[in-house]
Amino acid sequence: MNALLMIGRLRKAHGERVIYDIADFTLDESSAYVLTGMNGAGKTTLLRTLAGLEKSEATSLLYRGDLLQLAPYPQRLRSEVVYVHQDPVMFSTSVAANIGYGLVSRGMARDDIARRVEMAMVWAGVIHLRKANPASLSGGEKQRIALARAKVMEPKLLLLDEPTANLDGAAREQVIALIPALTGAGTTVVMACHDRDLIGLPGMRRLKLRDGDLIYRFN
Amino acid sequence: MPLLDATLAAFGLLFAGDAALWRIVWVSLKTSVAGLLLAAPPAVVLGYLVASHRFRGRRLVIWLTQASLSLPTVLIGLLLYLMLSRQGPLGSLHWLFSQSGIVAGQCLIAIPVLLAFTLAAVQAADPRYAETAIGHGASPWRTMTTVLYEVRFGVMAAVISGFGRVISEVGCALMVGGNIAGETRTITTAIALETSKGEFAQGIALGIVLVAVALAMNGALMLVQGDAHSARGRP
Repeated sequence: MNALLMIGRLRKAHGERVIYDIADFTLDESSAYVLTGMNGAGKTTLLRTLAGLEKSEATSLLYRGDLLQLAPYPQRLRSEVVYVHQDPVMFSTSVAANIGYGLVSRGMARDDIARRVEMAMVWAGVIHLRKANPASLSGGEKQRIALARAKVMEPKLLLLDEPTANLDGAAREQVIALIPALTGAGTTVVMACHDRDLIGLPGMRRLKLRDGDLIYRFN
Repeated sequence: MPLLDATLAAFGLLFAGDAALWRIVWVSLKTSVAGLLLAAPPAVVLGYLVASHRFRGRRLVIWLTQASLSLPTVLIGLLLYLMLSRQGPLGSLHWLFSQSGIVAGQCLIAIPVLLAFTLAAVQAADPRYAETAIGHGASPWRTMTTVLYEVRFGVMAAVISGFGRVISEVGCALMVGGNIAGETRTITTAIALETSKGEFAQGIALGIVLVAVALAMNGALMLVQGDAHSARGRP
């Protein structure tokens, strides 16, 4: 399997405190990973670093065979990596416009955006919320819309930060049901989580952050 | 009772459609709105940039912005007077004692207010808005417009505060405008002049207009905010 991303010596510290110091790690194309670790282990920071939202030091960065730099964050990664917050925010517009936000940024034709957004809303089970005010949505609905907003971008790397952390019951089940469809088809998913049902999904590889290192993987 | 008589006379002037009085109101509104329209785009953009970027000297910029909020408008008027006077670097514009000069002054007065309020609104915004925009491929410009839209009530409050500051100031308009009847006489300079002459009726009438404008502007903002809150299902 081809490597999507290879990072050499990735280090993040706040003053004296080292958040992580990872010798090197590789993410394969079209693969799914769960990233586990104790609270405060640096899972979110690592995902945010990969999304270019946090700064970390890295000795090398190989992305789809091309040597890049982590800082400043490359524009190419900006357009191919999508990060979804643990508690995603909705822009103050319609649900459909929220889902199509990234496609508008890409300058896609309006008809294509409408078609893709429609498909994504069906996929996420939010078609009935098309005209809903995003501020009135539940946590589970927001998470599903955020996943749809990420999915329409067809990213090479999708980073999910504990997508079920604030959910329970049916809302959690609905989000878990969407995750398998995000993996594969050219997208690598890295998902920070504690949720055993997510960790146990078929095909998930495991990464664990402990004591600042990515200490074991089941590749 | 002089105050009651003057107030009754003021209402008389307002309802009689006194041409000189409404000309003063028109000059005030025109110069204030023009100054605000010129100041708002650069000040709002600058406020956003200062709030959302880390750079050397940022704290100095914030300090100077906040300090300039308490700058007396008469000092801005003095500086602008020196710039626009015949020997000044901008003397060739012939803006001294003209509405253009007042507009320039109003613009300079409004910029710190707009900048400081926008800066505060963007700093208080949830950082996930910008992160989500950036994370979904938005350009820096689109990220800015997205975040500013999310803090639009703060930006509106900035504009209304800026308007309140410029329409109610007297020092700069007096020094740069010269208080020429029918040309550069504004509500505040007219109130100062009429009061000094002991003619209170027109001053009170203009004061009523000022209060009405302030109430209307803030009422409009409250209505918009109220609509947004009720749309979110909040009290």
